[in-house]
Amino acid sequence: MRALVIDDSRTMRHIVADILEELGFSTTQAGNGREALDLLEAGETYDLACIDWNMPVMDGFEFVAAVHARPEWRDLTLIMVTTEGELGQIVRALTAGAHEYVIKPFTSDAIASKLQLLGLLPAGEPI
Amino acid sequence: MSPLPGVGVDEVTMIASEIFTALVDHRTALLTPWPDGPVAVTDPVHAWVDLSTEPSSRVQLMTGAETAADLTRAFLRMDATEPVQEADLVDAFGEMANVFGGNIKALLARHVEITLPQVSRQPPSDAGAVQLLEVPLAWRGHQPGLPHRPLVISLWRI
Amino acid sequence: MTVSADTFTYVADLVRRRSAIQLGAGKEYLVESRLLPLVRQAGLAGVDEYVKSLRNVPHSADHDRVVDALTTNETSWFRDVAPFQALTGHVLPALIQNSPGLTSLRVWSAACSTGQEPYSIAMALLAAAPDLCVKITATDISQKVLARGRAGRYSQLEINRGLPAQTFVRHFTRAGTEWELSDQVRSMVTFSQHNLLHTPPAGGPFDIIFLRNVLIYFDIQTRGEVLRSVRRALLPSGFLLLGAVEATFGIDDSWETVSVGRGSVYTPTKSGKTQGEP
Repeated sequence: MRALVIDDSRTMRHIVADILEELGFSTTQAGNGREALDLLEAGETYDLACIDWNMPVMDGFEFVAAVHARPEWRDLTLIMVTTEGELGQIVRALTAGAHEYVIKPFTSDAIASKLQLLGLLPAGEPI
Repeated sequence: MSPLPGVGVDEVTMIASEIFTALVDHRTALLTPWPDGPVAVTDPVHAWVDLSTEPSSRVQLMTGAETAADLTRAFLRMDATEPVQEADLVDAFGEMANVFGGNIKALLARHVEITLPQVSRQPPSDAGAVQLLEVPLAWRGHQPGLPHRPLVISLWRI
Repeated sequence: MTVSADTFTYVADLVRRRSAIQLGAGKEYLVESRLLPLVRQAGLAGVDEYVKSLRNVPHSADHDRVVDALTTNETSWFRDVAPFQALTGHVLPALIQNSPGLTSLRVWSAACSTGQEPYSIAMALLAAAPDLCVKITATDISQKVLARGRAGRYSQLEINRGLPAQTFVRHFTRAGTEWELSDQVRSMVTFSQHNLLHTPPAGGPFDIIFLRNVLIYFDIQTRGEVLRSVRRALLPSGFLLLGAVEATFGIDDSWETVSVGRGSVYTPTKSGKTQGEP
């Protein structure tokens, strides 16, 4: 399974990619929503995208909305991984098309548990 | 009038504990309040983000360069002996400030914007900046035998 | 202190055989951190020594504890997912079918810890059957965790674990750096102290009992006693749910296993003693 990790922080991309790789995903990194969208538009396909919110050029919210608007990309599971912890913002993201939401800081089993909920990982997998 | 109402020592300590449990120490937070006495940091590194509160505010972190390198190693799950590139340290410590700032932002009643993190060996020098709160913490770190290393979180009105 | 390669291989093998879960390279830190509490309880010096003590003895409760420690995740919402799908997808419809016009449901969440399980049950049933009056009795032996359950407040790290985002925004509001469950959900659960070795708690007889990931902490004989006691608190038409790697098989034969999805639920067999019978 392939995952796209989108965050303007190299450190955070590394952390999320590491966790996903331990869970069996192959990962690709992008530094903002625009870079990620370019990959999708170039025909790259992924099963999962983990997306930060606050990024330059195109933020995570805009990316989620852009993906959600394209029927051909409906199979891409979108998980926001962000410090945005205001309830209103979370609701906005879910309404815009995010399937799941993880607030930073997060433990690796938080990501795993969300993947279990989404059926992308067998339940009960320890982290 | 504080631009960061409701953000006190307890809140800052709780956020720090969660960040360290989740991303640094992985499960057990090796972070405690700094025991009494002055916090002396040689070779300091500063990282900060600003919030568009009224007036503007700043969430700032400060620690020693070696500690910042160890934090980077912890974030990136590197070995204790692996050398840390300056760019990695800047990114990692900056991200820590970003996560701190984001969590403090989430405590506020009104939605505000947060800036990208800045990292420097020099503290930020905004004229008229007033410190609202300082929370010195001690990180035990991953190398047995080392004394507690300080991590100082401060909130400012700017 | 790290775990020897030998120890790691033995533990990984044991876990894989008992649970099908693979602990690959890089998970040594997991073996160390998860087993340390057991090591301390046993009064031994380290994980290697503890595991060594397991190797030459036949399967025991200690082996089970090792498996549980490694297959379990920290207290999580909707833990293991499948049992909650079984709850709303199989158990609830079966109960309604058995008693058309069912207006209320009694659930017992045994060894409820800090409350994530009973509250998850509450949120699941609220979504699946909003008009049903659901009363959940949540028990644990520890007053400390019961107090946390009653408070209904959880940290951000705890919230991130297993709670679907949609469910989260529906039932939680911010309380400083923590998140608080709505009054509606909290009012569905009553927390009380209870020792599983004693008679069942008040609030029964129950339609559904969750007894998850606690039997493994008892020896084989005590497991049987606990199961028999639990059975007396369950209605004849009721359902028992156990942990992902647990089963009644070999412990108490007065249960029927019902396969649901990738797991099972258990119902009392008709022949055994039922509640109210002499």
